[in-house]
Amino acid sequence: MVDGVRRARAAAGRALARATGEALGPYQSAVVRIGFATTWLCFLLREFPHRHELYGPDGPWSWELAQKLVGSNHAFTVLLWSDSALWFEAVYALSVAASALLALGWRTRAVSVVFAAGVLSLQNRSVFMGDGGDNVIHLMAMYLVLTRCAQVWSLDARRARRHGSASAGAAGPVLWGALGAVFAFGTVTGRLGHGWVAAFAALWVVCAVWWMVDRYEPRSEARAVLDVLANTVHNAGMLVIAAEVCLIYATAGWYKVQGSRWQDGTALYYPLGLDYFSPWPELSSLLAGSGTLVMLLTYGTVAVQVAFPFTVFQRRVKNVLLAVMVLEHAGIAVLLGLPFFSMAMIAADAVFLPTAFLLWLGARAAGARSGLARRLGRSRPDGPAGAGLPPQRAPGGTAGPGPGPPPSDARAAG
Amino acid sequence: MEANGREAVEEPLPPGAPPPARAPGIAGLSAPGRVTASAALAAVALTACAHLAAVFLHVAPANTLSKRHAGAVDAWIYPEFEQNWKLFAPNPLQQNIAVEARAQVRTRDGGLVTEAWRDLSAEDGAAIRHSLLPSHTRQNELRRAWDFFTASHDEEDRPVGERGGLSEQYLKRIALNRLRAARPGDGGEIVRIQLRSATRAVAAPVWSDEETDTRTYHRELSWWTV
Repeated sequence: MVDGVRRARAAAGRALARATGEALGPYQSAVVRIGFATTWLCFLLREFPHRHELYGPDGPWSWELAQKLVGSNHAFTVLLWSDSALWFEAVYALSVAASALLALGWRTRAVSVVFAAGVLSLQNRSVFMGDGGDNVIHLMAMYLVLTRCAQVWSLDARRARRHGSASAGAAGPVLWGALGAVFAFGTVTGRLGHGWVAAFAALWVVCAVWWMVDRYEPRSEARAVLDVLANTVHNAGMLVIAAEVCLIYATAGWYKVQGSRWQDGTALYYPLGLDYFSPWPELSSLLAGSGTLVMLLTYGTVAVQVAFPFTVFQRRVKNVLLAVMVLEHAGIAVLLGLPFFSMAMIAADAVFLPTAFLLWLGARAAGARSGLARRLGRSRPDGPAGAGLPPQRAPGGTAGPGPGPPPSDARAAG
Repeated sequence: MEANGREAVEEPLPPGAPPPARAPGIAGLSAPGRVTASAALAAVALTACAHLAAVFLHVAPANTLSKRHAGAVDAWIYPEFEQNWKLFAPNPLQQNIAVEARAQVRTRDGGLVTEAWRDLSAEDGAAIRHSLLPSHTRQNELRRAWDFFTASHDEEDRPVGERGGLSEQYLKRIALNRLRAARPGDGGEIVRIQLRSATRAVAAPVWSDEETDTRTYHRELSWWTV
């Protein structure tokens, strides 16, 4: 009995040490960050010629219509701060820049806030232009703000390696000041709701405190407390991201189980015959021609979606299902003409990728980079691992982030 | 251990600054730090669980708990955490719904001419075909605007609530943009427009013995003055 209690206490202590002592899943959070930032960046660039029609003040969903709808649902969008075309262009350009910088992991915490504000602003401005892909990006953009997603594969991590701290340099305070000015403007002019004022104010103050403590008292107790708080919020954020992915598949799967077309094995045939979702009619009719194949894919889709949430604790089965889902989404991207939806779903799936695979991927990317650099004949100042790709530093190696905190100076700011 | 050893080689600490020997996490803090961190941990854990519970009740079918706490769940979820994953569920869409539009035009000599129907959805389809990256303007704009319209109107096309009015204006602006874009410069001035949907079921698969009615059914809206 006593022994059992002691063991339980020791286990609880270890769990507490992990939940507060390290930011779990450094590679997973990084790949989710890169995945969503890249997806939104590609989307914004692809829609650049259509940006006015989608989100501009004179688009079919006009500024006045948006204002009426937002007036009733109180969604966040800075695009309704002004109906000038210049403001719209500035917000669009800033969203593009924030997406690129988030993918690179530059001043990640601050940039993730700008990224989320950009995603929400554009999507909430014209809510009827979006689809499921936009919905995933919308949620993940907010969740990513909570995470320390630049511990690896980021410019912040590189700066931390070179200068001892990710807070080094003048860009942080400048960015903080600029964002503070925008925030102050939105608050003073009454353009931000109370909840948003509170959220932005908290972020703004915490960033300042973090920067000061990190710069002037990096070995202090205060720094350690902040580190524990940041880890706690990060781990909660990662839990929410992982649970959200499970909820997506669970609902998608369980609602399908109730459908007669998913039961009789013909469901996948019908989207292939929809004009809005068959960019390659030849390919679609080829697939639709085989009843057996349609039946197997229909049942397979439901089985995988329903099963996935129950397999996350069984590494091997989970990895197989993950591979199947990534392949299925790649197929959907082409077959149903939903590339950005598929990219977003793959980025969300990536939170469950095993660390060993991510390390392998990172090494391949680093190899490709240095190979490219050699061919271009440039000298490499940053060693063989490359700028955005730090040396493989995951504790534990194969089985997810293992015990033991990574050194604090390798961490990205806040 | 091996990873930590590698770490030490790759990242030598600055001289004269030995790493503090803290236990990881809360255990490594002083008493005030522990109190702060514990309170934060409890608050964060509770918030995360509450959020996930709210999202679960939001995406699950209406049930005892979600009905009882509908007010609280909706207040938390809307507008930013709204989500819907019933893509192609419980059954996939099994019909092509095309939106068509026609214009009544005042010609230069003052006469009124009613032009032929134009299949705007077919134009979307043509733009989507053989495209690796279909635009939202082609794939979602008109399709979802029509969904929005039908969802906010009753059987007799009367608007339901404020959204009904918004959806009419939205649909009208989309149709007008598209009708105007494809017109010759001196084609006269559009006075009124009319929209209709043409719904046709996807034919049953050749390998099934089902029979599907694949005739086209129209839903014609009244004329809208421009």
